[in-house]
Amino acid sequence: MSDVTLILQAAGRGDDRAMEDLLPLVYSELRKLAAARMRNESAGHTLQPTALVHEAWLRLVKDADRTWQNRAYFFNAAAEAMRRILIEHARRKAALKHGGKQERLNIEDLELAATTADEKILLVNEALKQLEKEHPERARIVVLKYFGGMTNQEVAETLGIGERTVYRHWVCAKVWLFDKLSPES
Amino acid sequence: MRVEEVFCAALEIALDERKAYLDRICAGDVGLRAGVEKMLSKYFKAEVFFQEGNPGVDISQLADAPDFREQVDLMASTDEEVEKQIGPYKLLQKIGEGGCGVVYMAEQEKPVRRRVALKIIKLGMDTKNVIARFNAERQALALMDHPNIARVFDAGATETGRPYFVMELVRGTKITELCDANNYDMRQRLDLFIQICQAIQHAHQKGIIHRDIKPSNILVTMLDGVPVPKVIDFGIAKATGGERLTDLTVFTAYEQFVGTPAYMSPEQAEMSALDIDTRSDIYSLGVLLYELLTGKPPFDQQELLKSGLNEMRRTLREQEPHRPSTKLDGFRAEELTQMAVHRQIEPPKLKLLLKGDLDWIVMKALEKDRNRRYQTANGLGMDVQRYLNNEPVVARPPSRLYRFQKLVRRNKVVFAAIGAVSLALIAGLGASTWLFLREREARQEQVLLREEAERARSNEAKLRREAEAQTKITQAAILISRNKLAEADNLVGNVDLPVTQPSLEAADVFRKLADWNVTRGQWKRTADRLLKLVQANQIDKTDMSDAATRELVKVGPALVLIGDTVDYRHFIETTIARFSGTQNPVAAEQLIKAGTILPMNQSLIQSLEPLAKVAEKSFADEASSQSGKGSYYFAWRALALARFEYRWGNYPNAIMWGQKSLAYLDNRPTCIAMSHAVLGMAYNKLNQSAPARAELASARNMIKTRLPDGLDHGLPISDDQSGLWSDWIESCLLLREATAKIEGPSPSPK
Repeated sequence: MSDVTLILQAAGRGDDRAMEDLLPLVYSELRKLAAARMRNESAGHTLQPTALVHEAWLRLVKDADRTWQNRAYFFNAAAEAMRRILIEHARRKAALKHGGKQERLNIEDLELAATTADEKILLVNEALKQLEKEHPERARIVVLKYFGGMTNQEVAETLGIGERTVYRHWVCAKVWLFDKLSPES
Repeated sequence: MRVEEVFCAALEIALDERKAYLDRICAGDVGLRAGVEKMLSKYFKAEVFFQEGNPGVDISQLADAPDFREQVDLMASTDEEVEKQIGPYKLLQKIGEGGCGVVYMAEQEKPVRRRVALKIIKLGMDTKNVIARFNAERQALALMDHPNIARVFDAGATETGRPYFVMELVRGTKITELCDANNYDMRQRLDLFIQICQAIQHAHQKGIIHRDIKPSNILVTMLDGVPVPKVIDFGIAKATGGERLTDLTVFTAYEQFVGTPAYMSPEQAEMSALDIDTRSDIYSLGVLLYELLTGKPPFDQQELLKSGLNEMRRTLREQEPHRPSTKLDGFRAEELTQMAVHRQIEPPKLKLLLKGDLDWIVMKALEKDRNRRYQTANGLGMDVQRYLNNEPVVARPPSRLYRFQKLVRRNKVVFAAIGAVSLALIAGLGASTWLFLREREARQEQVLLREEAERARSNEAKLRREAEAQTKITQAAILISRNKLAEADNLVGNVDLPVTQPSLEAADVFRKLADWNVTRGQWKRTADRLLKLVQANQIDKTDMSDAATRELVKVGPALVLIGDTVDYRHFIETTIARFSGTQNPVAAEQLIKAGTILPMNQSLIQSLEPLAKVAEKSFADEASSQSGKGSYYFAWRALALARFEYRWGNYPNAIMWGQKSLAYLDNRPTCIAMSHAVLGMAYNKLNQSAPARAELASARNMIKTRLPDGLDHGLPISDDQSGLWSDWIESCLLLREATAKIEGPSPSPK
């Protein structure tokens, strides 16, 4: 068993010291994921990759019921944390834009071409909830790819499936999500 | 879903060919075509929407970002107590300061409240690397559990980015200071030293090399008036060691990075950190022993440092140190007196005490060539113990006179009596007899010496290769303990077989590597490692049990599989010869199994026949015992007999045994497959084509369903419930043979 796995399991048992040990081991990978994720964003995004990792990390540390059998579980959790941060961030900004009032975005109201990065995140997240019901594995892949910034290969390793399968699911999921978000559907 | 399948396939086809592809694949299926077209039409926009590969943030910005660790620390602790608090540790007081760092007594709150020693490394090192290196070693460090070793708990970085280590708090005194302060005599000093050797041995067995053994790393605590040594700082030299090389150019940091040159082995002084093994620690133990005995290390620390880096290396590499007894000659009178007082001995006697055994022990530990040092810490400790017990030490090839002296010293009273009698006898003997005896003895001695010299010369090369093989195996064992199997496997790949001495350690190494190669489908390497395992395992050649055969019989199938039939035949013949005459039915069965993988020649049939009788006889015992327990054992035995009868040409008997084997209910899949294959071949010989083909089909079906991928991707190392890997290989070999015989040679052999 690798060091990372041992430490992950210790951290999963609530060992806070193990959590500290984990950081240097996974930090560079987390930072890479965040960088990949943010590369997809417009340059004007107010959330910096480093900040994204830090936020995600603090959430992982605080997460009381963390159980990570191995690297895959951990990066899964990391992607999930990054998704939540991106969404909260987008919600906050959307709320400010709409006069400080927190309101749900209405897909029909938005012209897709003119959506900002933050709005996009919220839109995808909404559609993702539907995809989760219809095709849970695809939804998982979207979280890892879109919110977690992973490459196909990393997703394949994390989920224990083939890289080709990841590619196919991701392509189909993108079309499916976009279809759901398009006004004419 | 069909639409998506076609869609994904279409994406990979160039635009101008896509239409033709869709025409062909959808041929008339309008719904499918429409679905795919719709997905394709959305695809481009979707891709733009998800903005894959659109560069926004430059990654290089990330590289410049301040170290994350510090940020988290800052976020976590905004209070002013940063200085007194490092991670979860509260600093209490400074307890030491050395060349490379400061040591604090600290208090840990969680998960247990305890006092620890916290060592903060002084030099500006790459903290992340230091911690990563420490973490790489952490698992091995956790395995160390010895009363004379202080545990290392943790490593981390302070908010200013310096690495720190957390260790068991040892309240003790540096060993050399304690010995002098209490005026310990030689025996007390050597007793302490032996305990240290045992502690280092324990660490070496767990794959940890200390790399920085010196008096300040060995603290002695008093427990109920008994001094207990504790070795501290395990794993720290390794974690911080890599940094030394990079600092080499910085001359001002010179004294610090060199550490403690007086205690460095010649190979450490070379700074080729890759080539350090456990015997570096033996050298440092030798220096420690030297200092415990004489009060000084063999080379003076200050002089080494003054001489400069290159000269220092040369000294450590080439200059022979003085023996401890001659070292005393260089002492000033008051120095010598002082030293002797600390050892409760008069100065002239001190020199006599050191001369001889203690000189040799120390010098053997300090050999420049590590192959000539003690090979283990235990070896060194045991030799010191032998000295204390007045037994001959191994540090020097014992001459007759030397051994005799030892014997006399051990049995003073007896020898005093014998001496008196001998004197009376000798006085009574004639002078001529005495002269004659003396001359004859001298001549004999001459012949013996010459023979010995010649033997030594021819042995020299062999011994050297043996030592090299042994070194590689020890390194491989350490690599395996750290799960670095690929490296270990490469390391032993060219270990010369005939010079591998039988040893349990070597056997264990080859066993693990053979298993590893099995899982990777590396059959050539598997066979090689197994042959070496057999070689290394011949410690007890009289062991005739089936446990001994169980390991041996795996070699046969591996050799046949890689097509090495010459080695296979040789191996089978020697193995059966070794076990001929065994009455153990399990061993007999296994030998038959191994001997019947290929058609047998006459001599093999003859040597297997008595074994077949032993196996056959056991069925009578089975009938009488009626226990029903372990009936699948008998299925295997019946299969072995079926194979033997088939190879002998006794086909009806082969069929009888084969069917008997299949009749056992809790049979193993490999056993069933092989029984079917043998039955098929036997029916074929009797020209019964239909049952032959039926049996062949059953065998093939059994193997194909359990082993769909064949042997190319390796086999799991499993219990015998799902089938031993060697049995699966045998099954495949027999199936191949049966297929060729029943269906004729296949046009394209796989």
